[in-house]
Amino acid sequence: MSVRAIVAKPWVWSYVAAFAVWLATIAFTGGQGAGGVLTAALTFGTFFALVAIGQMFVITLGPGNVDLSIPATMTLAGTIAMKAMAESDAMIPVGLGLALLTGLCVGILNFGLILLLRIPPIIATLSSSFIVQSTAIWWNRGLRIKPPPALGDFATTNVMGVPVLAVLVIIIAAVMHVVLARTVFGRSVTAIGQNQRAAWLAGVKVERIRFLTYVLCALFSSLCGFLLASFSGGAALNMGQEYLLTSIAVVVIGGTSVAGGFGNVPGLWGASLFLFLLVTMLNTYGLGAGPRLILTGAIIILVIVAASYRRQRE
Amino acid sequence: MTKTALVAGTALAALVMFAAPSMAQEDTSDKRIALSNNYAGNSWRQAMLTSWARVTEPAVADGVVAAADAFTTAENQVTEQAAQIQNLILQGYDAIVLNAASPEGLNGAVKEACDAGVIVVSFDGIVTEPCAWRIAVDFYQMGYDEVVYLAEKLPEGGNLLEIRGLAGVFVDDEISRGIHDAVADYPQFTIVGSVHGDWAQDVAQQAVAGILPSLPDIVAVVTQGGDGYGAAQAFAATDREMPIIIMGNRHDELTWWAEQKAANGYETMSVSIAPGVSTLAFWVAQQILAGQDVPKDLVVPFLRIDQDNLEESLANTEPGGVANVEYTLEDAQAVIAAGRQ
Repeated sequence: MSVRAIVAKPWVWSYVAAFAVWLATIAFTGGQGAGGVLTAALTFGTFFALVAIGQMFVITLGPGNVDLSIPATMTLAGTIAMKAMAESDAMIPVGLGLALLTGLCVGILNFGLILLLRIPPIIATLSSSFIVQSTAIWWNRGLRIKPPPALGDFATTNVMGVPVLAVLVIIIAAVMHVVLARTVFGRSVTAIGQNQRAAWLAGVKVERIRFLTYVLCALFSSLCGFLLASFSGGAALNMGQEYLLTSIAVVVIGGTSVAGGFGNVPGLWGASLFLFLLVTMLNTYGLGAGPRLILTGAIIILVIVAASYRRQRE
Repeated sequence: MTKTALVAGTALAALVMFAAPSMAQEDTSDKRIALSNNYAGNSWRQAMLTSWARVTEPAVADGVVAAADAFTTAENQVTEQAAQIQNLILQGYDAIVLNAASPEGLNGAVKEACDAGVIVVSFDGIVTEPCAWRIAVDFYQMGYDEVVYLAEKLPEGGNLLEIRGLAGVFVDDEISRGIHDAVADYPQFTIVGSVHGDWAQDVAQQAVAGILPSLPDIVAVVTQGGDGYGAAQAFAATDREMPIIIMGNRHDELTWWAEQKAANGYETMSVSIAPGVSTLAFWVAQQILAGQDVPKDLVVPFLRIDQDNLEESLANTEPGGVANVEYTLEDAQAVIAAGRQ
């Protein structure tokens, strides 16, 4: 692959942006904390990337497809798993199983609303998120139960500055890249996003693929909720809060077309690191909340414009 | 804080209602009070609603008031809560106790309520409409007191990390202003970093972990509550020495502090507003309905936990909740009397 071909990839820009922001941060601190900031970015980027993989598949399905139930699913999965494990190492597989089962149920609920009741996905997932969030509140009223020690240690372990969880999610991302680019399922998702009717005429089982995609997204959300609760010392009712807009922002900055039909996985990691490093940079510069939010918005627009400009020229 | 206080308070309420006509208390046994609440998605709000139920149910059973129903909007939005208030007016409630989504946004609906003869008592999230009562918290003082405590603990001073709340919310501005003014008065301290933790442990942990590598040694972390445990997690992940992290009365924060205290004698303090302030607002509304002259602006006391009453406070805090006090009629009368001066 020539340099030109690499530069033409829409996802390259998220990495360029992440690297630039990192350089700007350590330039300000005079090199201090260069490695520490990267470790932190990998740590928290892991959770962004994980939910963004699911969201990317959903968005690639085409206009109107988005999952707004991610935060609620994370909260419920984390809550149920922590409560079931009750700080016992032996119960970790049960907790993980219950978390994924929660995701499966939410995915089925979401698609049930979309298909059977013919509700647009944006409304269906929004309303299911109320149900899911309320279930989490009802289930244990915001009680923070710690993860089992072995799980907590696993979730916070770094090897030479690289978090184990990040390695795990990089592997998951690599697998999902192959799934999107090389499998019938992945190609079907892309085909539906480009033209649903054409995909149907070509023999793609549209509703089955959409069903699998929403379930996949809910599964990744629940896995993220499970890991985040393990990492941060327990599940809290508001733990998923910032992951809704972040998941969409990561998908778009990562070079996936928001209109659907063109997804990519590598950009998700670049965008996750970029978003974390951007906030860190503005915090390090010590700007007030106002300028900080304005700059966040402006820089995100800039990166998206750069990525889509390259795509249009192709 | 204790059940006995609660029982005593309720008994006192009954006593005042039926046996002390000299205080010119009008009968409120046919009055209906509603709680209009904008948000329930965190442990503080959950505790607030639990306290409301625990204090108002006996009050209703004893005939102090006819009803004290709680209503929470789903989306924390001004329009939704305005519509809710309009519904409560139509349902004929005599008083609305209000935790508002916005200080100004609900003024129209609040004015409608006042015009319809409904008493509106706002607390925590207060409204600026002059016809409503306000039970406000002196957040500025809360921030200032954190630094005063640190000045006693660390006379030689040092670098501070500030964790702020949700940007754009008045509470965040007030606490932060108190902290910065206090740092100006105690120049041995320098704030070397400031991040927004949104009063959520996970957000705070993430923000602190991001800025920490670029910061010099930190002697203490000034916080706003709901962010201390997250900050501790972020520090624990590094090889830095654990600074004094001011806590915010959350169960997870107090638990962590108690563990550290037992393990290595860790010292700090914890301050926040008791979610039971909803019950104070309830009694204030009841007093207004009883014909008492109540000033429009009242101030809630803080709930502060120190090294020596940590274990006791923790034991009284519901797991997953926030250290709490439920107020009695007597407490409300004391607050009203203080407000008159």
